[in-house]
Amino acid sequence: MFRFQSLDEDCTLEEEEEGQVEEEDDIDQFNDDTFGAGAVDDDWQEEHARLAELDERVRDVFAGGDASNASLPPPPGSVPHPSSLPRPSASTLPPPGLEERRGGDLAESLTRLLLGSDPAIAGVGAAEPDHSRFPPMSQAQVNSHSIWENNMGFGPVSVSPGLVTHMEDSPLMSIIKEVGLPKRPPPIRGEDGLDLSERVPPPRSSSPVIGSPPVRAVPIGTPPKQPLSHTLNQQIHCPTAVHVRAPIQHRFPPPFPERLSPNTLLNIAIASTSFQNSPLCRPPFPAGVGPVLSQIQRAQLLNSQVGPFSRGGPAPPMLPGGGGGFRPFFSQPPPRVGHHVPPPNHNPIRHNTTHLHPQHRRMLTQRMQSRGDRGGRVGDRRSRDPYSNLMTQKEKEWVARIQMMQLQSTDPYLDDYYYQNYYEKMEKRLERDKDSIRKEPTTKLITPQVAKLEQTYRPVQFAGSLGKLTVSSVNNPRKMIDAVVTTRTDDEEKREKQVWNKRRQILYTVEKMYSLLLEVQDFEKKFLQTPEEQREALLEQHKTHTLQLYNSLKEKEWEDRVSDEQCLMIMSVRKGKRLMSRLLPFLPPPQAAAVVMGIARNLPALAKKDKHDQQVLCWLVEPVAVVIQSMSSSALTDLLQELQGSEGQLPRVLQNKFGVTLLYLILSEGERMQSSDPNCQLMDDNRWTELVFSVTRELLKVPSSSLSPPLFTPPNLLSLFSRYVDRQRLELLQEKLQITALSR
Amino acid sequence: MNYMPGTASLIEDIDKKHLVLLRDGRTLIGILRSIDQFANLVLHQTVERIHVGKKFGDIPRGIFVVRGENVVLLGEVDLDKECDQILQRVSIEEILEEQRIEQQAKQESERLKLQAVKERGLSIPKADTLDDF
Repeated sequence: MFRFQSLDEDCTLEEEEEGQVEEEDDIDQFNDDTFGAGAVDDDWQEEHARLAELDERVRDVFAGGDASNASLPPPPGSVPHPSSLPRPSASTLPPPGLEERRGGDLAESLTRLLLGSDPAIAGVGAAEPDHSRFPPMSQAQVNSHSIWENNMGFGPVSVSPGLVTHMEDSPLMSIIKEVGLPKRPPPIRGEDGLDLSERVPPPRSSSPVIGSPPVRAVPIGTPPKQPLSHTLNQQIHCPTAVHVRAPIQHRFPPPFPERLSPNTLLNIAIASTSFQNSPLCRPPFPAGVGPVLSQIQRAQLLNSQVGPFSRGGPAPPMLPGGGGGFRPFFSQPPPRVGHHVPPPNHNPIRHNTTHLHPQHRRMLTQRMQSRGDRGGRVGDRRSRDPYSNLMTQKEKEWVARIQMMQLQSTDPYLDDYYYQNYYEKMEKRLERDKDSIRKEPTTKLITPQVAKLEQTYRPVQFAGSLGKLTVSSVNNPRKMIDAVVTTRTDDEEKREKQVWNKRRQILYTVEKMYSLLLEVQDFEKKFLQTPEEQREALLEQHKTHTLQLYNSLKEKEWEDRVSDEQCLMIMSVRKGKRLMSRLLPFLPPPQAAAVVMGIARNLPALAKKDKHDQQVLCWLVEPVAVVIQSMSSSALTDLLQELQGSEGQLPRVLQNKFGVTLLYLILSEGERMQSSDPNCQLMDDNRWTELVFSVTRELLKVPSSSLSPPLFTPPNLLSLFSRYVDRQRLELLQEKLQITALSR
Repeated sequence: MNYMPGTASLIEDIDKKHLVLLRDGRTLIGILRSIDQFANLVLHQTVERIHVGKKFGDIPRGIFVVRGENVVLLGEVDLDKECDQILQRVSIEEILEEQRIEQQAKQESERLKLQAVKERGLSIPKADTLDDF
């Protein structure tokens, strides 16, 4: 609250300009604390008063040389008028007054900063300000004010005279007095990218650690700034320059095309003088000297002084004159300064990062030298060009660096084949030719290869967290799906492969058979279409096909038996089953019978496979039925036997729909045979009877649940069973099999 | 200082007078002031030079910023050799007039050719105007 009040009052006072003197006392008391003056011994108000005095005097002097002693404010001891300063020069200088008032605070801090850092200046500034400095101060005032009118680009001096007082003797300050400090650049900059606060993109959420590119304060692609550091670092050894430069680091557009901006010049001058000249030349500032040179004059001076130096790049870092404005301080002739100029061609191939063949390098240096001799004349011409060096050294280097980076290669023999080969050939030639004269050991070219950077990116994972961190950036785009590849073991793979291979083979076989079948099926149509003479051939063909079909099914050795494994193989595939069903009608009876036998024989296995899809096998019913009906009795018996086969086969058969159906078919056929033809051979041996008996036994034994309903129940089963079983069992069977009594 | 030994770069051409040929056929002559990694050029005191036959005319253009991809070629102008030229310098109006006449003549010949070809029953496929390659 204390402070608040004081500040408030202070402000109001400033605003009002013609302040109320009565409130001074209060303000002064507070001000001491507000402005942190506790650390300072000096009473800034005294200073201020003195300066105010000074200012008045200056004005009077300027106006007409009237000694303004009368207007001198009371001696430093008393409390000064804050408003005494603005009053005499009310018309033009109220703003400066304000500036200076406010600047007083800044001045304090700046003073402390500068004083503290530089021993040279500190030594100077420690002295008590005295009135002897007034004339120079007036001068400073004049200069600074006149500078405001000037459109040199320097704004109002933000450093109040208070600061200058302390450092008046230092060359730095004389320069500042002369030139004025550069004003603060406007917030919106061009492509300099200087006002970084506005250009910086919002800080990225991902930290550089995780893998995103480092956060750049300056967007990628901006050319480098003015080479302040570049030129100065070479010569400056004392920290002064650094500090001095710090507050005025800002770059601003040069008022004239001369590339060495006054700021640069200022810094150079500061650096050079502070380092070199401070002990030497500290001439008293002549009164009335140094009206600011016009821009053109300055440019000319600079140019003329730059001329003698080579213009391989921009102007050499150390300008002898440093501009006309600094002339008083460079009373020492240029040779002194020239020491600091680095020889322009001290290292012709300085920015080379590629490795050249030594021969190549030698050639290049030779070429450079010859060009250097030739270019001396041209340099002179260029010095007169005011627009030259718009592109700074730094910028040139930057472009060069980018271009060089693109030349880096991981495999020089791949990327730069011709270069490598050419120099290899040359080496060989040299060796051959200069074998006798060993001037120098033949130098071999060893091109370094840029190591290939780490390619793989591993997403950041934290132990114990669920899943991976979702952080993405330009270099590591986020993995959306965490697809884990499960590699199967070799064995598993082999097995799987085998299975697949087998299946593929089966399918292939089936396909081949199908094509044959189709041929066979189409035979009739073709037969009708072909003319007479070709029919024989076609018939033959047909027979061959049919034979082939059967052959593919049958056993290798046995003519009348179908290969079990083939049959199984084919029937394991649905298509195969279909094939069989279509195939059967086309086969001659014995072969067909054999096929059916095979089916019956392998029915349990087929039934097992068919468990899930019972419909498929039933496709076979019709053709099989046809076949059965054409079978002989012995064949039928055999078939029934096959169906029964080994122990436990029948129950399994019964579980399958097709099996049951088949059984019924067989039985019904047998019955039909018996009933139709009393002399049928079915009864010749007991086989049939026995088989039927076993069947009936089985049928009775088998629980109803495991008995699959057939596709259809032949009507004559009842009569069949009635022949062989007694009444009781017949009834049971009837119930079980739901055989209706509707029989013929 | 040699920036890129063994390579070609425009850095050493800065602040020298250059002749730049653009993809659209224009010829610019100016002092190369600045470049970048794409070979975008900044030309100062640029002059567009139109050549028709043995005559040429200059149109002052000021500062040009040329996008690198539009440059066909550029080369340094030897200031000594520039003085002795076989070509005759004429005024802008005249050269523009000459250019117009030349264009007309070319178009006329093209038309005649097309007509002749059509009469014979052939056709020449017209190159697409946007097709640069």
